[in-house]
Amino acid sequence: MKRMVEFTVNGEAREMAVNGCCSLLDALRDEVGLTGTKKGCDVGDCGACTVLVDGEPVNACLMLAVEAEGRAVETVEGLQPGVDRLHPLQDAFMRHGASQCGFCTPGILMMAKKLLDDNPHPSDEDIRFGLSGNICRCTGYTKIFDAIKSAAREMEATRP
Amino acid sequence: MNMTTPIEQREFKIVGKSVKRDDVLEKVTGEAQYTGDIKLPGMLHGKIKRAAIAHARIKSIDVSKALAYPGVKAVLTHETVPRVLHYGSPHPRSASCTKDQYILDHKVRFWGEGVAAVAAISEEIADEALDLIEVEYEALPGVFEPEDAVQLGAPLIHEVGPGGNLVLDPVRVNRGDIDKGFAEADFVLEGTFAGGRPHPAYMEPNVCVADWDGSNKLTFWTSTQTSFMVRGILAEVLGLPLTKVRVLVDHMGGGFGAKQDLFQHEFLCALLAKETRRPVKMEFTRHETFVAGRSRHPCKIWLKQGFKNDGTLVARDMKLVYDSGAYGSHGPGVTIVGTTAATSLYRCENVRLEGRCVYTNTPINGAFRGYGVVQSYYALDIQMDEAAERLGMDPAELKLKNVVRAGDIAPSGHPIIGHGLEICLKHGIDVLDWTTLRGRDRTPDPKRPHIRKGWGIGCEMHGSSAYPGIKEQGNATVKVNEDGTVTLLTGAAGLGTGAHTALAQIVAEELGVRFEDVGVIHGDTDVVPWDIGAFASHTTYLVGTAAKMAAEKVRAAVLARAAMKLQVSAEEIDLSEGKVFLIAEPDRSMTVSEAMGPSRGIPAANIVANGTYEPTKSYSFAAHFTEVDIDTETGIVEVKRVVPVHDVGRVIHPIAAQGQIEGGIQQGIGHTLTEDYVIDKKTGRSLNAGLVDYKMPLSMDMPDIETIILEAAPDPGGPWGAKGVGEDPIIAIGPSIANAIHDAIGVRFHHYPITPEDILKALREKGA
Amino acid sequence: MRRFDYHRAETLEHASRLLTELGDDTFLFNGGTDLLVEIRERLRRVRNVVDIKQIPGLSDITYNETRGLTFGALVTVGRLENLSLVRQRYPNLRSALASLGSIQVRNRATVVGNICRASPSADTIPPLVADGAFVHIYSRTNMRVVPICEFFTGPGRTVLAKGEIVTGITVPPAGDNTGKAYLKHGRRKAMELSTVGVAVSLAMDDGVCSDIRIALGAVGATVLRAPQAEAMLRGTRLDAEAVRSAADKAMEECTPISNVRASADYRRDMVGVLTGRAIKQALETFA
Ligand SMILES: Cc1cc2nc3c(=O)[nH]c(=O)nc-3n(C[C@H](O)[C@H](O)[C@H](O)COP(=O)(O)OP(=O)(O)OC[C@H]3O[C@@H](n4cnc5c(N)ncnc54)[C@H](O)[C@@H]3O)c2cc1C
Ligand code: FES
Ligand code: FES
Repeated sequence: MKRMVEFTVNGEAREMAVNGCCSLLDALRDEVGLTGTKKGCDVGDCGACTVLVDGEPVNACLMLAVEAEGRAVETVEGLQPGVDRLHPLQDAFMRHGASQCGFCTPGILMMAKKLLDDNPHPSDEDIRFGLSGNICRCTGYTKIFDAIKSAAREMEATRP
Repeated sequence: MNMTTPIEQREFKIVGKSVKRDDVLEKVTGEAQYTGDIKLPGMLHGKIKRAAIAHARIKSIDVSKALAYPGVKAVLTHETVPRVLHYGSPHPRSASCTKDQYILDHKVRFWGEGVAAVAAISEEIADEALDLIEVEYEALPGVFEPEDAVQLGAPLIHEVGPGGNLVLDPVRVNRGDIDKGFAEADFVLEGTFAGGRPHPAYMEPNVCVADWDGSNKLTFWTSTQTSFMVRGILAEVLGLPLTKVRVLVDHMGGGFGAKQDLFQHEFLCALLAKETRRPVKMEFTRHETFVAGRSRHPCKIWLKQGFKNDGTLVARDMKLVYDSGAYGSHGPGVTIVGTTAATSLYRCENVRLEGRCVYTNTPINGAFRGYGVVQSYYALDIQMDEAAERLGMDPAELKLKNVVRAGDIAPSGHPIIGHGLEICLKHGIDVLDWTTLRGRDRTPDPKRPHIRKGWGIGCEMHGSSAYPGIKEQGNATVKVNEDGTVTLLTGAAGLGTGAHTALAQIVAEELGVRFEDVGVIHGDTDVVPWDIGAFASHTTYLVGTAAKMAAEKVRAAVLARAAMKLQVSAEEIDLSEGKVFLIAEPDRSMTVSEAMGPSRGIPAANIVANGTYEPTKSYSFAAHFTEVDIDTETGIVEVKRVVPVHDVGRVIHPIAAQGQIEGGIQQGIGHTLTEDYVIDKKTGRSLNAGLVDYKMPLSMDMPDIETIILEAAPDPGGPWGAKGVGEDPIIAIGPSIANAIHDAIGVRFHHYPITPEDILKALREKGA
Repeated sequence: MRRFDYHRAETLEHASRLLTELGDDTFLFNGGTDLLVEIRERLRRVRNVVDIKQIPGLSDITYNETRGLTFGALVTVGRLENLSLVRQRYPNLRSALASLGSIQVRNRATVVGNICRASPSADTIPPLVADGAFVHIYSRTNMRVVPICEFFTGPGRTVLAKGEIVTGITVPPAGDNTGKAYLKHGRRKAMELSTVGVAVSLAMDDGVCSDIRIALGAVGATVLRAPQAEAMLRGTRLDAEAVRSAADKAMEECTPISNVRASADYRRDMVGVLTGRAIKQALETFA
């Protein structure tokens, strides 16, 4: 039986009919049509599906779409502050080679955003701990750590 | 290209710089299209019914209930798909393998093999329908270890091939006189080695989408490293001309070698789409990436080497047995490459090698970064450390003495160019002050008395390109557009390594235009020039040279056109940073755009040239220096620090090259310590087909990596001397860890993964 | 994945009724981090899930010096993990919480879900057992409170009857003279299901151990206590020698199995190592 559900995605209200068993991940990808959020395992192990729900990072594969009722969902597609501007993390990921195949990137970016929002000066240990639920199989993480540190400095420098 | 061609020296404008990778912009915004992101109108979803038995004959399959299930549109079994014997991998065409696979067969050869496929209006319905398919099996005895499979009277897994469960006839390599060598030896070391079954565990599960149009043409999106091979084998098996199969790959989420085969689901997806006349998508679950994906070949090695008391190696006798799993796939290639690799690395004149590859009733092993060499060099490098210990020598010193040097005959049969490995080793020794490090105070820290520290070195070399197994061909088309921008067409897949960026850099550098003005078109077999695929660390080397050749041709044509417009001769002008100028009078210039554009009486032009390159092979080198901490109470080994020193000939994009090295190290730490895809030896069932129990090192586990890249031994076969780097890191890291463990606790391990239990057991046996 | 239906319960009574009315294959849905995985990996046949997250009153966290810490069924692992009270008073529980899955998982997973899944390797169970926690259970006919060590009847099995719902957990107050620790053993530093987990909760009087509880995870059908090892330590000064013999005793008291994660022998060895280390760490509170 389908149910109606309404939530915002990157600030825009979305309404859709979904099966009770439909995950938030499938709803985002198939119903909303935002395919930036990836499915690497569908069971919470890889973090490729990380999105923010009411500001908190969750695995979209382990949440049902119906549970998102009335909530605010943020995905990688909403990360850019403006049409032709990049978030400092996006820019740093490009400059530092933090994205190779890119499949882990959307999830890691969302996790990193949360990390820097909460903690503008993360230590190496904080960054490693923060990303422990996100698998990257291409980079060995080194470049990802570099990029996050660089973005933190950049955000610090431009903070009003 | 002739090996003696001198390498052009020049001041680089673009090569050697970490320019912004264009493809990454789409990745950080979430716009990049991967195969799984495709959604077509009316698209169905396919699922595969997998056998829960390792070896059996199918007595009957009843699909009537599944077909009647609401939402199901088609069900395929071995009775309804074309029965065409084919290769699992494209390579064996030139590496002497037997065709041993059907799309679906009446026999099951491993636990998890597909026996039927369903297409339905949703993934869930397709999944539910799988339970309604009734299969009756006649169980056959299974064999799960190569040593059992080669016993007389062992159950035969295939009717084809050389027999005795061999995938191919044994690979034999003989150089010099082995008996004479051992006779000259002052001492002999002999040991057996064993490698586990690591899985590439790329983040994007295998996925494809098939769509047939009204003219009976198949459009096929798939996450593959070898789109032209997919096109070729699909066309062959489906009985279509190549004009009727179009394969598309835009972005892909990693492959590491394993996405080179033609997978069962790819055929089935195409056939389900044909049957239903609707587009069909098939996406692996993470579980399926293990059972139906490809892992590294488990390998058992026997190695005996003779040494002189001065450390000279005089004889090497080696037998390798690779476990192919249920099908041939890359078994032949891996066996040939892994076995012949052992002619080299450390110089030895008298060599006798024998490599075998054996079928077992286990999931298929295929190509994976390091391709057979991970296994053989693990043994060679560890035994070299043992020899040093026996001689009372510093392993660094012994390795330096024996590493291959310029002029030595490489596994490919060609002389090695440059002293790459020696320079890497020396560089690391200097940077780390290795001698002091070895002589350090080894008393444990009183605050952590159970921790022991160790340092180890691992060496490797690896060929760019699959020559001589395959005579490869690299192609590139370069077009200069009317506005002076440049389009490069390449068939090389974009695995995420940054290969397309490197190719664009090469074209921009050679042609003399700005990097930003070069666009890359890839991933459509109907459009781009043929390419063998992205593997064997060869894209920069092989396709890079082809691109450079094409760029050279269009450059000449651009100069000719500009000369005409400037009314000078082509020899008088040069082209740099998008400008054509008089050499004698640099102020007299015009942009490439002006040169290409229309002017009175001259219409705009579009210049096109192709480059085709058939190389032999180059070798890249590396020495890894690795520090470990071992908890002697729990047996846990922690890799603390790695200093990888690599020679890549010429760096095109430093950050991309470092990224390859660091990623390879992560995977190598994994297979050496924690990663192993375990198959139950009694039933053939997978015991850890998922990311919970298949343990890759994650963010908290990774050591500090201080990557050093040298341009020590440029190869004339690559663009400005560039060689590959994709596979090298995963080979060197393993033995460096094993050797560091020995340095820390005085115990030798000859296998991987080295588990905490192994460490504790060994410490106990040692009586510590 | 096979389909299932979703039901949202408004009250405990409603949830309980749905559980009995919808028949077998109906399960409570809390954070869903276990249930959804079991469904996707075909480990459990599920036709209906009953979401309890809208039921009022199940999200509270309270602490007082006499009753201790009480938290409701909906309290997530992440929320408890980040409470300074938990950090200060229940370092064993806090360490278990912080080691469970990833930040993303902890934002959804609940402690009550963790205990109701009743996995022998569940991380929050050993500290709760060592601290002598109580489980509050609702049924339509009565409410009951069960000591946590009586809650589990086997791997994946609990005393819960059809229609019963856990509403919360109470952990007794942590006195000033107590020391606690939880150590988890795995191959990786995070994203690990524990191969062995050891929780210790002890009290010291004038340098003498007046009470100690040792709980062992992943080495038996349920989380186990090590009563003989505990007895050996009570009344001692917890010197190295006493701790070593007690750790050896704990190794005898556990009943591990071999699987792909580790052999029974290795697990037993780790019980010895971790018990010793956990006691040492618990004592650091007094240092
Ligand atoms: C990626 C990943 C990593 C993980 N890592 C760990 C780890 O390191 N350590 C660990 O211990 N666990 C781990 N888990 C398991 C899981 O997160 C925990 O067990 C979690 O605490 C379960 O809580 P939940 O709220 O998500 O439970 P749910 O999945 O909602 O429920 C679990 C079970 O309990 C029942 N249940 C839930 N609430 C109640 C109630 N109030 N009354 C009665 N029955 C109820 C449900 O019906 C179900 O059977 C991991 C899971 C994932 C996906
Ligand atoms: S897809 Fe959700 S965690 Fe892997
Ligand atoms: S970039 Fe490929 S998985 Fe991270």
